[in-house]
Amino acid sequence: MDAHRHAARDRLSNRIAAIILLLFSLLYGYAGSVIEFSFSSDPLGPQVFPVMLAAILGLLSLIYLFVPGEGEAWPQGTVLMRCIALPALVLIAALLFEPIGFAGAMFVMTTGIARIFGASWKTSLIGGFLQAAVWYVIFGYLLEVYLPVGELFATSRRG
Amino acid sequence: MNFDYLWTGFAVALSWQNLLIGIIGCFLGTIIGALPAIGPINGIALLLPIAYTLGLPPESTMILLAAIYSGSEYGGRISSILLNVPGDAGAVMTALDGNPLARQGRAGEALMISGLSSFVGGIIGVVGLTLFAPFLASLAIGFGPAEYFVLMVFAFATLGSMVGSQPVKTLIGCVLGLMLATVGLDPTSGAYRFTFDSPELGDGIDFVVLVIGLFSISEAMLMLESHAMGAAVIGKVGRTFVRWKDIVFTTGATLRGSIIGFVVGVLPGTGASVASAVSYTLEKRMSDSEGTFGKGDMRGLASPEAANNSCAAGAFVPMLTLGVPGSGTTAVMLGALMLYNIQPGPQLFAERPEIVGGLIASLYIGNVLLLLLNIPFVGIFSRLLLLPNWILVPGILVLSVVGVYSTHASVESIILMLGIGCLGWVLRKLGFDMAPIILGFVLGKVMEVNLRNALAISGGELSILFQSYISLILWVLALFVAVGPWALQRWSRRGRSPGMVE
Repeated sequence: MDAHRHAARDRLSNRIAAIILLLFSLLYGYAGSVIEFSFSSDPLGPQVFPVMLAAILGLLSLIYLFVPGEGEAWPQGTVLMRCIALPALVLIAALLFEPIGFAGAMFVMTTGIARIFGASWKTSLIGGFLQAAVWYVIFGYLLEVYLPVGELFATSRRG
Repeated sequence: MNFDYLWTGFAVALSWQNLLIGIIGCFLGTIIGALPAIGPINGIALLLPIAYTLGLPPESTMILLAAIYSGSEYGGRISSILLNVPGDAGAVMTALDGNPLARQGRAGEALMISGLSSFVGGIIGVVGLTLFAPFLASLAIGFGPAEYFVLMVFAFATLGSMVGSQPVKTLIGCVLGLMLATVGLDPTSGAYRFTFDSPELGDGIDFVVLVIGLFSISEAMLMLESHAMGAAVIGKVGRTFVRWKDIVFTTGATLRGSIIGFVVGVLPGTGASVASAVSYTLEKRMSDSEGTFGKGDMRGLASPEAANNSCAAGAFVPMLTLGVPGSGTTAVMLGALMLYNIQPGPQLFAERPEIVGGLIASLYIGNVLLLLLNIPFVGIFSRLLLLPNWILVPGILVLSVVGVYSTHASVESIILMLGIGCLGWVLRKLGFDMAPIILGFVLGKVMEVNLRNALAISGGELSILFQSYISLILWVLALFVAVGPWALQRWSRRGRSPGMVE
């Protein structure tokens, strides 16, 4: 029964994806057909290839709609929460990147992600600190990749 | 045939700087292959932007990436054998006989034999590449835009019929990739397409952002789910030695696997996973008279290992000579060359012998290094499997952020990478493969430009696409690979009596 319900939900999500792809192909095809250009040295111009692709995608998504195939089960409960938390943590790190610098942002990200991978607070904090430090040394000093120091520190240094 | 490019290449690859880069690449590659869940394509995606920002010349970047690619084909066997968790898609078949051997306490022997067959496969693949690539390049020099366009159609047809179990999803992936490639400035007309007046999108979607998003972000999210399934138990490596008897016993399987691997590698788009699956199935059919396959037969271990290494070398043939990647990983490498504004194709052999030759020569050197690295130190690499996910995944994500930021120095590109990654995760959950998207993306511009140039020559007549013998042959081949397997299946089903149908 459970397996049966799972298969049905699986087909449903595949069908939803097929409909989204179908709509996308229409939208893309329309946007492609109205591209403005003043001059083109070839008979096709910039519009035909995108419209062609839209037609192919439309056809494929129709086939996909009727033969949805199979995928994997969607995560639920805590696993789902973690699947949302992971990109959210990277997003937070990205937003902190310039204000507090590479090392600080990476400390927040690595600690948080270690937590959602099941490490205790203590191990996560130590691991996060060490990773931030090690990567900062590798990239900032050994490989000399340009990384932000952090506006907070940069201004105080300048002042 | 003229092999001057190879001598130029050895001179490049043996310079101390490139030799060092090669050793680092082999070492990192073995680790990347051995760690479950990250394979060659993720490893290359992560290290490509760093190599590029460090200002390495293109030939050195190619040597680094090629070493990682071959290294991870070696390393993939370690986790397959010891953990029964394949380190990458190409090592799935290795686990079938490798892990039973480990459970019988013969892990050390299994690692040795598979290391040797990896080496033989790798060398046969590179020799094939050396001999076959200049030949294909000289053939392809006569290709016009029409032939190139049909070649891409053939590449997508092969991909659709050979990669993954769901051809519709593979093809949708290709088209999505092609669509992503149309974003940005159209060089022929000067029109901006699908940019929505955003200056960032004017240059098109960035390759590094796309690859890292699709592969590493979505992979980290998938690891989160598999992580919930509990910790792994690692078997003991035991004594590491090779018995002469076992070498003789597996020679046939290794050689057959190497040849199959090379051929599959040369076919556009089909990588190590297809190569090892085909060779294992064939070897089982040929040699499994006593039903020992799947229970720890050395031949079932040697054949797919030889095949995936040979395939890695074979996949460079179409990439270097035609500009059509032979596997998902070579598609990323093709994108790497494009970052340097180098368009691979038949002229590359004549114009940039240091890149082509350097890469091929480094594969010879790399395979020897990898054998030396993998035979005595296999115990050390197997320790790495104990690295917990709470160290590994944050590390991968740090590399992703640094990679994207270092090529753009913009926070927006990190956010774009995240968005692409989440989308990639949804697609992977739905059963889509990421490699076709990358393939479509790297081939998109070339495909469109060639189609438009062909029609510019003919003045808009579509007949130019069917004019030359080469394009006709390619059309027939494309039709054959697209319909062939399906027709064959129907035909063989009809041949059986109804009682035999499962």
